[in-house]
Amino acid sequence: MDGAFRKIDIDAFDEDIIQESELYEADPRDPAQVLEEARARQSSVRGFLSKNDVVGALTTVLENAPYGPNVEDAKTISLQTLLSILNNTKSTEISNVVKSLSMDCQDTLMKYLYKGMAMSAWADSNASVLLSWHEKLTEIAGTGCIVRTMTDRRTV
Amino acid sequence: MSNVLRPYLGAVRSTLTAALTLENFSSQVVERHNKPEVEAAGSKEVLLNPLIISRNENERVLIEPSINSIRLSIKIKQADEIERILCHKFTRFMMQRAESFIVLRRKPVPGYDISFLITNTHSETMLKHKIVDFIIQFMEEVDREISEMKLSLNARARIVAESYLLAV
Repeated sequence: MDGAFRKIDIDAFDEDIIQESELYEADPRDPAQVLEEARARQSSVRGFLSKNDVVGALTTVLENAPYGPNVEDAKTISLQTLLSILNNTKSTEISNVVKSLSMDCQDTLMKYLYKGMAMSAWADSNASVLLSWHEKLTEIAGTGCIVRTMTDRRTV
Repeated sequence: MSNVLRPYLGAVRSTLTAALTLENFSSQVVERHNKPEVEAAGSKEVLLNPLIISRNENERVLIEPSINSIRLSIKIKQADEIERILCHKFTRFMMQRAESFIVLRRKPVPGYDISFLITNTHSETMLKHKIVDFIIQFMEEVDREISEMKLSLNARARIVAESYLLAV
């Protein structure tokens, strides 16, 4: 007799099993709209950076960051924008920049730092930059910030 | 600790400290079972987002937290063939004796060289900061250990070659 039926995960058919979509509030925005916004932010960040306003640039990227499924392109653009800001900031300025961010922005920044490090293909050139930002951010926002990154299901 | 390694180990230390908030949690699937959720992966809501800390392409740490256990996997630097062999032998030696290291996992997670599994029992019976210190110290010493072994291997090979090729 065929034993393949023994491999079926019967728990997946339980009626009160939790679904991925129940873990967090879905993004109300349309994926195309999110992508549009990410592009718009990318150009406005360039404007901020030319004026040397790092805090303004970071806040622009970190507020309303794209999250959830179906918005991979927007996430990639946001990460690239953020990495360009981080790479253009002097290491002596990091502390002051991080201090002037709001708490939500600090949490989102932490999420992006981990995401940046997970992208090993790009991280090669700027891993040390990400690590120094991580160090400063942990100093200021504490380990609670890391815990929030781990528990928040709205992955960037 | 060397200056280049410090931010990397600092990031691992703070992430591990944050992840080590474990509590007792029995299985939701099987009654009267209590298993590390990160290994069982039975339900989504008890698994937290895995985090990766990387120093470069060849050196990174993966931390997978869950409600009652965390799994920490290390990819050790391997620059050449000799280092790859030495690293394999060294981690194999340790993992065969995994129960003496208590938190060591018997098999590494795919893509990594060595893994640790810390459960809530470990964090209750041992001091949390000492567990963190142990992992950090391990990471510090494993690189040094492997490069030392490589040096002594080369020195030995040189002596062997010299005496072998010695004109009698």
